[in-house]
Amino acid sequence: MSWEIAISGFGGQGVLFIGRLLMEAGFAAGQEVSWLPYYSGEKRGGMCSCFVNISDERIGSIFITHPDIAVAMNPDAYAMLEPDVKPEGLLIVNESLIKEKSNRLDLKVIYVPMVELARELGDESVSNMIALGAILANAPVVTTSSIIKVLNQMMSKDSAQLEMNKAALLKGCEIS
Amino acid sequence: MTERTLMGGNIAIAEGAILAGCGAYFGYPITPQNDLLEHMSQRMPALGRIFLQSESELAGINMVYGAAATGIRCMTSTSSPGFSLQQEGISYMAGAEVPCVVANIMRAGPGLGNIGGAQGDYKQCTRGGGHGDYYLITLVPASVQEMMDLTMLAFELADKYRNPTLIMADGFLGQSVESIVMREPVKKLPDKNWAITGAKGREKRLINSFEMNPLDHPKRIALLLEKYERMRIDEVRYEGMRLDDAEIVVVAYGSVARAAMTAIKMAQQHNWKVGLLRPITVFPFPYQPLSDLAEKGCKFIVAEMSSGQMLEDVRLAVGSQNEIKLVNTYGGVPLTADQIFEAIDLMI
Repeated sequence: MSWEIAISGFGGQGVLFIGRLLMEAGFAAGQEVSWLPYYSGEKRGGMCSCFVNISDERIGSIFITHPDIAVAMNPDAYAMLEPDVKPEGLLIVNESLIKEKSNRLDLKVIYVPMVELARELGDESVSNMIALGAILANAPVVTTSSIIKVLNQMMSKDSAQLEMNKAALLKGCEIS
Repeated sequence: MTERTLMGGNIAIAEGAILAGCGAYFGYPITPQNDLLEHMSQRMPALGRIFLQSESELAGINMVYGAAATGIRCMTSTSSPGFSLQQEGISYMAGAEVPCVVANIMRAGPGLGNIGGAQGDYKQCTRGGGHGDYYLITLVPASVQEMMDLTMLAFELADKYRNPTLIMADGFLGQSVESIVMREPVKKLPDKNWAITGAKGREKRLINSFEMNPLDHPKRIALLLEKYERMRIDEVRYEGMRLDDAEIVVVAYGSVARAAMTAIKMAQQHNWKVGLLRPITVFPFPYQPLSDLAEKGCKFIVAEMSSGQMLEDVRLAVGSQNEIKLVNTYGGVPLTADQIFEAIDLMI
């Protein structure tokens, strides 16, 4: 099984981070993985994308043009990704910022008000984790518990930050 | 050790250098190789080795020149605009026969260009780059594993030939993360009977790139040329994929070779006979294997993120009888598997 995943949004929305979590969890599951950041010169506000391969075979292209799973975090990302998701693929749309609806009938499209959901939890900056939860609820790419394991390794134990990220991840799983 | 670990491409170069016994690193920050320098800034002092952030790339390469003349393994890393600044120092080191490793994590030029990955320094890396008659073995990794492995090899080749050796990788590969198998550290470094180590009790040694006598200088160059000829014979490296019955051969290196692998897989689904020749050294270039494929009647697609710089080498290898097409991007834009597949589709 091979998963090609593209996540895109503004720099600062945590696009690279959730890509990193997916790659780490895939690696822990014994899969071949690659992670490629793609961004412009701005530190915040510019376009930022992340391409992740998780596969049981040797990985070819590290750049992904036809993802199985795509996450659009802002309108530019939606315009870039929506036409190119593979047929039968999964598209996660940040409904808080993207007003468009997809006409593609060959996709599973999930609209998630990521910013509002993150705000309900008390921290808008975890909208990326809501998106990751939405992926996990709709595609068996890696398990939620494997992502939590990676989070536990990356963030200091019992910190508010760790708990907030976990809560957002579970919320994303729940509502999608 | 066969345990796999996740690592970034730039970090794998740094760790490969450490495993190879690199004793001193000098460099100046530039995207997209910054994490290499940053990683070295933490690791080298912790190991009791030298890390120094120079005031410029020009200073950095001259620090490498000085330190490497004492016989320790040295390196610097940079990206295209910085690599241009280092040409004078590299030319001096080639002339003085002082080994070092330089990693050029290419971004788009000319000038300040753009921070996107590119392969536009091909000619600069494969044709010497600075002034004078010299060449540098240029290794072109296509995976994070090779970023480590070829860096270790680069130190061996640098010492073997007493010549600067290049790692040339595009910024996309430098910034990507993949799983790799860690290598064992090099245990014994070669003796250097030419190094400046203090002349007490022995004849003095002089390292320079200058000959006062105009009659002596050509002799010195002839020795260098003989060395480059040995490289051409002994150091050509490449990987072939599905070449046995290939009718079309894609020639690609670095991250583009990875996209080509995907494109070839797509072509296979149509039962098209398409193979890949992936240079691992671009100086010396694998002219002979390409020429052999041309003899067999193959057609060629050169895929690269430049205006067509490697294309010239493929033309030299193949001649004018066989069809050769270029598929490329430039200016910091990745070349995708789709684009390579389309080129194959057009040629079929």
